[in-house]
Amino acid sequence: MTNLSPLTGSADESAAAAAPVKSASAPPSRGRSGMRALLPSWSPKLVIGLVLVLGITLFAIIGPWLVGDPDAIDSIGMTEPSGEYWLGTTQTGQDVFAQLAHAVRGSLLVGLVVGILATILSALFGIIGGYVGGAVDEGFSLLSNVMLVIPGLPLVIVIAGFVPPQDRGWWTVALVLAITGWAAAARVLRAQTLSLRNRDYVAAARVAGEKRWRIVSVEILPNLLPLLASQFVFAVIAAILAEAGLSFLGLGAANSHTLGTMLYYAQNGFALQYEAWWWFGPPGLMIALFGCGLSLINFSIDEIINPKLRVPKPVAAKGGTPPPVAPPAPVTGAAAQAPPAPARAADGRDVVLSVRDLNVIYQTENPVHAVKDVSITLGRGEILGLAGESGCGKTTLAYAVNRLHRPPAEVASGSVIFHDRDGGDIDLLALDAEELRQFRWAKLSMVFQGAMNSLNPVISIHEQLDDVLTTHKPDMSKQARRERCEEVLRLVRVDPTRLDSFPHELSGGMRQRVMIAMAMLLDPQVMIMDEPTTALDVVVQRGILREIIRLRDELGFAVVFITHDLPMLLELSDRIAVMRAGEVVEYAPAEQIYERPEHPYTRQLLGSFPSLTGERGAFIRTGESSPLTKNEGAPR
Amino acid sequence: MTALEVRDLVKDYPIRSGLRSSRLRAVDHVSFTLTPGRTVALVGESGSGKSTVAKMIARLEKPTGGAIVATKDDGRPVGDREYRDHVQMVFQDPFASLNPFHTIEHHLARPLRLHGRTKGRTDTRRQVEQLLERVNLTPAHAIAPRRPHELSGGQRQRVAIARALAPGAQVVVADEPVSMLDVSIRLGVLNLLARLQREDRLAVLYITHDLATARHFSDEILVMYRGHVVERGPADDVILTPQHSYTKLLAAAAPNPEERGRSLAEGVGAIDEADLTRMFDHHTKSWHPFEKAAPIAAALANPAGGKQ
Repeated sequence: MTNLSPLTGSADESAAAAAPVKSASAPPSRGRSGMRALLPSWSPKLVIGLVLVLGITLFAIIGPWLVGDPDAIDSIGMTEPSGEYWLGTTQTGQDVFAQLAHAVRGSLLVGLVVGILATILSALFGIIGGYVGGAVDEGFSLLSNVMLVIPGLPLVIVIAGFVPPQDRGWWTVALVLAITGWAAAARVLRAQTLSLRNRDYVAAARVAGEKRWRIVSVEILPNLLPLLASQFVFAVIAAILAEAGLSFLGLGAANSHTLGTMLYYAQNGFALQYEAWWWFGPPGLMIALFGCGLSLINFSIDEIINPKLRVPKPVAAKGGTPPPVAPPAPVTGAAAQAPPAPARAADGRDVVLSVRDLNVIYQTENPVHAVKDVSITLGRGEILGLAGESGCGKTTLAYAVNRLHRPPAEVASGSVIFHDRDGGDIDLLALDAEELRQFRWAKLSMVFQGAMNSLNPVISIHEQLDDVLTTHKPDMSKQARRERCEEVLRLVRVDPTRLDSFPHELSGGMRQRVMIAMAMLLDPQVMIMDEPTTALDVVVQRGILREIIRLRDELGFAVVFITHDLPMLLELSDRIAVMRAGEVVEYAPAEQIYERPEHPYTRQLLGSFPSLTGERGAFIRTGESSPLTKNEGAPR
Repeated sequence: MTALEVRDLVKDYPIRSGLRSSRLRAVDHVSFTLTPGRTVALVGESGSGKSTVAKMIARLEKPTGGAIVATKDDGRPVGDREYRDHVQMVFQDPFASLNPFHTIEHHLARPLRLHGRTKGRTDTRRQVEQLLERVNLTPAHAIAPRRPHELSGGQRQRVAIARALAPGAQVVVADEPVSMLDVSIRLGVLNLLARLQREDRLAVLYITHDLATARHFSDEILVMYRGHVVERGPADDVILTPQHSYTKLLAAAAPNPEERGRSLAEGVGAIDEADLTRMFDHHTKSWHPFEKAAPIAAALANPAGGKQ
């Protein structure tokens, strides 16, 4: 699995890349405003859950008014369901339906009270402890940890045993369940508060001079609402189940009707032995259905907390909104028709990768054309700079070339041909899964955005490098593999003795070097580097860039270098493609881009970087908003 | 005239590893003054202590030693209670510094109310709209009811700047205010800050790792390295004629297309041993040894990483 760490990392990256693309070019949605932004979107899960829960709640509210006294003895016992008794009668001749109505009301009441009490307790201890910190936090944590390790049910049994049965109302049970049930939620809330406490907007509120209680209640609490709601729902389920369990054991509220007491009496009345399914079946089913309904609601709340859980809706199901582009041609067909790529690039190098008229579309509700008709030719040993701002499609392009894009992204048309060193041409878009696995990393490797953090923190550098080799070259001996790992580390100037280090033992610059070493392990012909130095300091960045140039000169691989830092590309690359809104607006040698930029956007980008040592030029502090940005303040 | 004076500022962080505990000195005897209408840039790399200085000035962290004294226009010192009126901060990440739950109006109305600058609801609304117009977010009445996720990064940072102005601050600490923004809108945000500074005669501390914008958008530059100020002086002097070997290193490492092909060939270099204990001041044109501060550890004096 570890060898896949760069590849699995990519999945998240591509999803992350999709987001800015969408926000940049999708039509502005006013979004749901106010509290409605916190509500889950309608999904089948939510609808079914709500129908179940509301239906049962309605039954609990209205039911007891319509049925008679549940304790009244109406007829001889154990009659099967009939017109008169919808759910039959018990052994002692009580109406099961009437009992059920009262029992559901009792159980729901217990659930509600416990849910509210446990949520208040957990919020109090979790949020306050997490925000205040220090001794208060230590104390609260200790208390919730102690409450966690006290086994809830036995404690309840003990407490229930001390309270005489005649005094044991449903509220006693509810109180005991609330006291034993808040601790786990408090720990989750504390963790979340600890993370929220360090957000900049909380710091900003402190700088503004807000009081503590206001920061907690106005800045932090609203952001915890989805979590609180989810925990409330969970507490209700747990309470109803626990109460049923207790009552079934005969430790519950003896003098009140709950689903648990119903089951208890059914058990005592030998309902199973008499096959009186109408007696024990309905209460059991009620518990199951209500729990199921609440769980479904909880799933929907989870989707607010973690939007990644949302399943993207297939566009076909929508039907109403056709994508704005022509229906995608079959990819293989398009590739077959593509004209043969020129054997040589413009500057006389052998071509190693040619991309023709590539189109990538995010098939979401509003399809986003992230890459539009991009054609790029990469020469052997060339450094190609791909420049553009966030959301311009540069990362999507890089992923599509390596077929790392994931739904909803789709290659709609175009071709990507890899011209192998041995002379064969490989149509990347036509490879099947196994061929693709063989191809990736061996011939074309990637260094990912934020690569320093894509190393697995619990596995040594050696194992992570070694994994790539064992996957792609299974017949290599262990000794040979270790030598190769040491060799690539030496290539990126990291001491081979660091091979057995763990990622946290290396500095950011060293980790980045290790990532480049990993990309070089299989001697690829093309390396795609997606913002490999963005998170690094300039001095460290300079060292890495020097390394890349040196290695390119020694080993002759080609590099696609993706960044927004145009001045860096001007120094580093042979040719530069400037991208905006999915299109390559200018594609020319670096000197030409610097000296004679043709496209206005290229000029604008160049103008955005002040010169360090040159004349101030346009960069005198004018205090006026520059013409480049006059539209930026306008509402979208 | 001084708006804020920082004297011998020291910050230690305790490090606990197992049973041993030690201290990390993040800021070591840093002194400077901010004057109304002028910008001081604090330049350095991650871990140099520049953000810690910002947090201490904004009172988000307590200094271990030294003093931060804010002074009013009439020369009287600013008391503890008024400090937040006087000193405000713009944070680095506009995606994190606005609460996703609240509207833009809430973000601006709260500081206005907290600092007693409004009377009543309509007055608050009017002032919020004025603030939004000052940072070029128009039409203000359309922006105010929105939530942060409906604005672009540049727009959010303008809101953050407006929030810093809301209490009528005279000192603004801007901690890397444009590093999270797309390059084509950085200049606009920096120019906005410059215009507001001129209009309100603000004293600005501009914290950045970008030497080029530090040169063009500030009057004075302080270069920080490992918690020490190693070079200080007028912006052009520091950047065009750097004296300390660390400043030279930084200047050489910044991408510079005018010298294409040059800088990638040569080594990154390291810091002179003599420079580990001294600071160059362009005002006096002389070296000053670190007096109370400890020397920079030689083991850390290879910022490039890897072997040279």
